[in-house]
Amino acid sequence: MIENWFLILGFSAALLAVGLYTLLTMRNVIKLFIGFEVISKGVSLALVGTGFARGHVLLAQSLVITFIVVEVSIVATALALIINIVRKTNSLDVRKLTKLRG
Amino acid sequence: MIFLYIGLPLLVAAILPLVGKISKKFLPDLLANGVFLTLFVLALTSGRRLIGSGPVLQQFRWMGEDTGIALAVDGFSLFMLMAIALVTLCVGLYSINYMEHYGSKSVYYALLLMMMTGMNGLVLAADLFQVYLFLEVAAIASYALVAYGLEYDELEASFKYLMLSVVASAAVLISIAVIFGMTGSVGFAAVAEGLRALDSRAAVGFCSALFIMGFGLKAALVPFHAWLPDAHPSAPAPISAILSGLLIKVSGVYALTRIFFNVFGLTPALSEVLMWTGMVSIIVAAMLAVGQPDMKRMLAYSSISQVGYVVLGIGLGTPLGIAGGLFHLFNHAVAKGLLFLNSGAVQQATGTRELDQMGGLAKRMPLTAGTSIVGALSITGVPPLAGFWSKLLIIMALVQARQGLLAVLAVLASVVTLWYYLILQRKAFFGKLEERWNSVKEAPFWMSAATVLLALIAIGVGIFFAAMLKTWIQPASDALSQGVQALSIGGF
Amino acid sequence: MIGQILLLCGLLLFSIFAVLAKDLIKSAISLALASLFLGIIFFVMGAPYAGVFEISVVAGLITVLFMLTIALTKSGGDVRESKAATLVFPVFFILVALIDIFVMKGLLPKLQVLQSGAESGTFAEVLWKQRTFDLVGQLAVILAGVFAVLALFRKKDNHD
Repeated sequence: MIENWFLILGFSAALLAVGLYTLLTMRNVIKLFIGFEVISKGVSLALVGTGFARGHVLLAQSLVITFIVVEVSIVATALALIINIVRKTNSLDVRKLTKLRG
Repeated sequence: MIFLYIGLPLLVAAILPLVGKISKKFLPDLLANGVFLTLFVLALTSGRRLIGSGPVLQQFRWMGEDTGIALAVDGFSLFMLMAIALVTLCVGLYSINYMEHYGSKSVYYALLLMMMTGMNGLVLAADLFQVYLFLEVAAIASYALVAYGLEYDELEASFKYLMLSVVASAAVLISIAVIFGMTGSVGFAAVAEGLRALDSRAAVGFCSALFIMGFGLKAALVPFHAWLPDAHPSAPAPISAILSGLLIKVSGVYALTRIFFNVFGLTPALSEVLMWTGMVSIIVAAMLAVGQPDMKRMLAYSSISQVGYVVLGIGLGTPLGIAGGLFHLFNHAVAKGLLFLNSGAVQQATGTRELDQMGGLAKRMPLTAGTSIVGALSITGVPPLAGFWSKLLIIMALVQARQGLLAVLAVLASVVTLWYYLILQRKAFFGKLEERWNSVKEAPFWMSAATVLLALIAIGVGIFFAAMLKTWIQPASDALSQGVQALSIGGF
Repeated sequence: MIGQILLLCGLLLFSIFAVLAKDLIKSAISLALASLFLGIIFFVMGAPYAGVFEISVVAGLITVLFMLTIALTKSGGDVRESKAATLVFPVFFILVALIDIFVMKGLLPKLQVLQSGAESGTFAEVLWKQRTFDLVGQLAVILAGVFAVLALFRKKDNHD
């Protein structure tokens, strides 16, 4: 069963990489939100996949369900922020959000 | 009744928007601050008896039946609960005046209560996944609170903060998934046992790295600090205070410490990594703080620097080092909370955060200036204020452990800290009173009350530091020093 | 096994398409399809509740929220993604895939895991009895999200 685990983790890692790439390179703030979604899929896959490969499906399921609830809350907050940002700046371009330097 | 720490804020938060429809300001003020005060008193009084004989695992009984909720308290958790309640109380009191013009006070207090629920839940959790879950509760509340004023700066800062945080969360969850795969469980005790039986260094190292990345971002350790200098200044002042004073420590330092000490066990390699990460934070942030024109930005960089001290002390791993780190955590929470609250008072009075535009405010706002001096001197480590003792402990611990280089660097960084705080005090409060600030008034009652309370605590803890160490820091430090064994006592 | 790999590939492909697509609506649909695949994967792995949740919440609810946002932010105009980002992506992806396969194959014999017995109880028992505190956390996170949205969309009468 362990080979299964690494296969699943491999796909999960690929999803995470794609998500990270999106966060790093995309300019549309809504695309950034898609990046977050892809990362979440990677994480959910890792959790359930681990449970599946190691025989703890029930526990993994509960964890993933809770995680999905967290994901929805974050999505709602992020989208609320995005809508407010567009109202203020009339643009979806993340390059316009560079007033603060960090 | 440990569940009260989570249940009470949650319940009051849930009904607050409804209450807000009846009474816009008075009832929300009263209810929220009532909760904070209750929990603070609770932590001060009953907690000690509870853990008198070691860590406690309490089952929550609902109507006489056992629910599945078992909450764990030991010296470390109790210490954090007390600190959380104290600073949140002061922030709540301050908000009575400061948040007048932001609108929807009931929703504001509801979010503040949710942040407290999240922080308390994190501290009381005995399970890796639950640490993550409550971390997110507090984080979501914080995203909304940072952007609360709905001005451009706040929205941008909050959005960037959110985007970086989700990466941190992903790192933490992947690490949890791997640990879950290796040991078949996510509870602290089961994982600790499982990891000891397995002894697979590389995998634990990988997971540790991910945890440092994830929780390190929450704690704003360099190089994961980039979000903080934007988020903390842009947020409304009481939120900056609670973020800098509590959130970065609870969701960053506490989570990291708890997992590394009681679940993984502190190895020499891990200790080195933590200490040097802390030291890098101390130095880089202190350097960056010096040139800042914006008052709150300087305070934000200072937070990053001081959290470095905490991580340095705790990372050392010796009982003295841990005690110093934890004591500094408390002192910084009090002092930085104080300073940010005062910055809000200054911003409200003068309308600006630029240091160069201020000057001589001490004549018009003596209370604010006085408490600011107390806060600044405490952080810098000037006797007899509290910060002096905590920094001294950390440096002593470093010397004792033959970490001479780190000790010297810590002392040098302290000098830099003193320098930029003196700049801050001089530019804002002393010097010539500018013309346009002639009609500036002192801060309103509750705002001053909150900051005076914090200042008194900084002074009091400084004078009675031995008592503070014995009653609060020692049990916390012991709980950590016992390392992985701590969990088997009391039947976690 | 083959079926699983096909499903996983489907998930990955639709996710990539969602990221690279120029039209946001196509992105949304692609993301929903990816969620669908993930839900099916969950079913196949013996996690039917997670599968149902994934499909109804992520493919359903989040897609709806997503569409809502796209509609509400039309005034943001079109943002042209940099051509470079789209072109570099295949290179990036192949690199990642290679490192991924290499690491996973290399780790195979090395990682030690605890042998564990079979899981006991039904799902309902696990969720409601063992993970009860998680449910408190879920309630908290939902409330936090609700208040966040309330705060961010509030009407402001007098703001200084």
